[in-house]
Amino acid sequence: MEKPRGIAETHSYRTLLIVAAFILILPLWARAIPGDVLHMDIVNIMVLAGIYACAVMGLNLLIGYAGQISLGHSAFFGIGAYTTAILCTRYSWFPTWLGMILGAALSGLIGWLVGKPVLRLKGHYLAIATLGLGEIAFILFSQVKGLTGGTVGILNIPPLSIFGLSFDTDLKFFYLVWAIVLVIMLLTFNLVRSRVGRGLRALHSSEVTADAMGINTGSYKVKVFVWSAVLAGLGGALFAHFQLYINPESFVLTLSILFVTMVVIGGMGNLWGGIVGVVVLAFLPSIIQAFPEWIPGLPESLSNFNNYSLVLYGLLLMIFIIFMPKGIAYGLSRGTVFGKSTAGRLLDRIKAYRSTEK
Amino acid sequence: MLDTYDKSRKKMLFGSAALLTLVLVVILAVKGSTGLQWIASGLTVGSIYALVAMGFSVIYSSTRVINFAQGEFSMLGGMLMYTFASSAGLPVPLAFIISVVIVSLLGAGFERLAVRRLRDSSVITVIIVTIGFSIFLRAVAKWIWGSEPVKIAAFSGEKPVRFLGAAVVPQSFWVFGFTALAVLLAFLFFNRTLIGKGMRAVAANPDAASLVGVSTSTSSLIAWTVAAALGAAAGIIIAPIRFAAYNVGTMLGLKGFAAAILGGLGSAPGAVVGGLTLGVLETITAGVFPSGYKDALAFLILILVLLAWPQGLLGRRQDVMT
Amino acid sequence: MGNEIILEAEGVTKQFGGLAALKDISFSVARGEIKAVIGPNGAGKTTLFNVLTGIYRANAGRILMKGKSITGLRSDQITAMGMIRTFQTVRLFEGMTVLENTMVGCHSRSESGFLSNSLRLPKSRREEKRIYEEAMQILGDVGVETRAMDDGTNLAYGQQRMLELARALASQPDILLLDEPAAGLNPYETGELSSLISKLRDRGLTIIIVEHDMGLVMGISDDIVVLDYGEVIARGTPDEVQNNPRVIEAYLGIGPE
Repeated sequence: MEKPRGIAETHSYRTLLIVAAFILILPLWARAIPGDVLHMDIVNIMVLAGIYACAVMGLNLLIGYAGQISLGHSAFFGIGAYTTAILCTRYSWFPTWLGMILGAALSGLIGWLVGKPVLRLKGHYLAIATLGLGEIAFILFSQVKGLTGGTVGILNIPPLSIFGLSFDTDLKFFYLVWAIVLVIMLLTFNLVRSRVGRGLRALHSSEVTADAMGINTGSYKVKVFVWSAVLAGLGGALFAHFQLYINPESFVLTLSILFVTMVVIGGMGNLWGGIVGVVVLAFLPSIIQAFPEWIPGLPESLSNFNNYSLVLYGLLLMIFIIFMPKGIAYGLSRGTVFGKSTAGRLLDRIKAYRSTEK
Repeated sequence: MLDTYDKSRKKMLFGSAALLTLVLVVILAVKGSTGLQWIASGLTVGSIYALVAMGFSVIYSSTRVINFAQGEFSMLGGMLMYTFASSAGLPVPLAFIISVVIVSLLGAGFERLAVRRLRDSSVITVIIVTIGFSIFLRAVAKWIWGSEPVKIAAFSGEKPVRFLGAAVVPQSFWVFGFTALAVLLAFLFFNRTLIGKGMRAVAANPDAASLVGVSTSTSSLIAWTVAAALGAAAGIIIAPIRFAAYNVGTMLGLKGFAAAILGGLGSAPGAVVGGLTLGVLETITAGVFPSGYKDALAFLILILVLLAWPQGLLGRRQDVMT
Repeated sequence: MGNEIILEAEGVTKQFGGLAALKDISFSVARGEIKAVIGPNGAGKTTLFNVLTGIYRANAGRILMKGKSITGLRSDQITAMGMIRTFQTVRLFEGMTVLENTMVGCHSRSESGFLSNSLRLPKSRREEKRIYEEAMQILGDVGVETRAMDDGTNLAYGQQRMLELARALASQPDILLLDEPAAGLNPYETGELSSLISKLRDRGLTIIIVEHDMGLVMGISDDIVVLDYGEVIARGTPDEVQNNPRVIEAYLGIGPE
């Protein structure tokens, strides 16, 4: 009998390969489109999306599978970024790939130190505690001037260089980042369909019952948290070597919320949730920004996206979570965008109501 | 306010009150009249934190939801006051009432449209919707009023008054007065009116309350409206002392929440004590350490209290921790 | 049936604030025995289970399993030692299939961790295969193998209870604690449950059952402990307990004439 798959896993290695192939050829057609048609640089946006995806995939494991929450992951992103930035700018001989690894590792270590006490909290309290940690990290980034350059930040970060190959163009970075993302996908894939993955999903469903089944829930929560911190740190390090300049403003609460939004909108607890969420939210602002240029003659207040980008963001967030709390990926895998969400149930109820009226 | 008789919350309350008294005594002893100045401004800003904390407590008590947008209610109160009192020139009491009413309607509207629908959803879902709301409100404020801070005239002039050796601006007295009034009204409402008592019943045991005819959804609606009103009022009366801008809500909300937890979430006296304590401690920190670290204090307190005394918050450790 | 004492409670007391839910409970269970714990509602039966399995910590007294003290251990540690319980309310894991729910039961007897699972190391793959086969077999024993790939919550109530049992069995317990397994089952299902319990005992399992269905209890138990208001008021064989006036009084509220 074929190895069975769980409800949450409706995809196979095959899908992974298809996505990988798509990613491979993306720059070929993206670069072929003339610049003034779309008004956005797809490859550039995808690089940033991929960088965020590292953090978001870890967060998806934490939120969607293990059922916890963190509103402070910008801290880990920042730790990864600052670690590699500081090491590589202070010591010009320092290999950038090592800086990246150390950034991820330090992020994981701190994730372990703070995770152990904090993960004993639940729900809202965990959210607030992690939020507080994120804020403290931001304050430290801004205040410890000797180390981090304070509010000015760190400039002239050397581009990433692995085995002599220098990743100094968008295109090279694109392939590097998405290769990393796909590897993480693969690992997550395996994890979720295994014993530990079941343990995590059981923990999410009912912590007490999971304990009774012999799952060491406390330990699992911490491990997932640490792993998500490592991934966020990795993303941060990549960010530093891509932007070549960082300052504390890049690692604020807004970023933590963005990460969580990407997880939620993409689909919590769905393997593709992280990537879908990241891609959608990475392109959305560019699309909306480019939109007015596709439609001539809009008034200034509407055509300048910066005016209302956040308004839209907040509105979308609220609408989305109310009507599609499970996210896009879940909806897609059901064949309909609404799935079992409020909207779907609403439609059912309307139909039922209509039929009883007769 | 809704579960004031819980024993462990009382312990928390006395603990914070003791802490506050100790801190005040130490400051006075060590710093003399500078200390008095610190205390005055600390208590002022602390009263605002107390009002914001009360807003959190009201909503939390009746719906077990933590409203991440609570700070934005205060921000909007201040901004609307600017529009009506300073720009449009309406008399202060009128502008005050209009601003508070608008924000209250906003809170009620959000409760009906969003919170009610998510009654049975997971914690994360509710957290995210209130976060979305706060982002939305902040962005709308920036869109309408721009990013520059605006000035609101103090209610009764700017000339500081000598009080027990410290220079206190008249607005501070408005702050203290309003906070005292708010606490009194809250006490009367939750202990003497039927609706208020009904809300306490819902907070204690929603199922039992609905069985005896108390409506959970009305309770929720009232809670959100009251919290929005409290928040707006708080934002209005502090605006002349601080300033009003589209982004003051975030910090205010976070600190108000820290205050609420410090004093015991869900308790009005707790909100007051927690707020005042936080305000004073923060002013001291700003006086002693480099100013950038001031904000970190609230977060540190928050995390420490959450980790060390969770049973002080609700009396039931299981709600907070595993 | 051996005489080895596999579980022993000595003077177990549990208080919640001022309320004593369990007062000085002592009993012992022999290997291969089917012991029933009965008593009116609120007597403390589920609390007793919670204390035995580490969900609550006893305020006083000791619990010994296979001669070793398990007082104060965490739930997952007690599970690892071989004592598994089912719950009064169905507590299936949502979002997981029938099969997956059962496979979680094997968690305590498997060991691959984050690393070997993520990398799909051969050891991990072998273990996964073993878990899969064991789970399928148990589903067969319990009678729900045809629904293996369905969402656990889509099953009929009786089958959900069976799934709970399957999950408990997957961990190959030495001691199985069943908390009101017959609640909500129709007579036919109760009969099936009864034969399943016997079958399990024949395979060497020790079973402690909290139950209200007297037919099931009297028909299957070797020994019964009766609780009332947190205290043991009687113990003995089904016949002895049925005729014990204190037991009758506890259930019916009627004193001996």
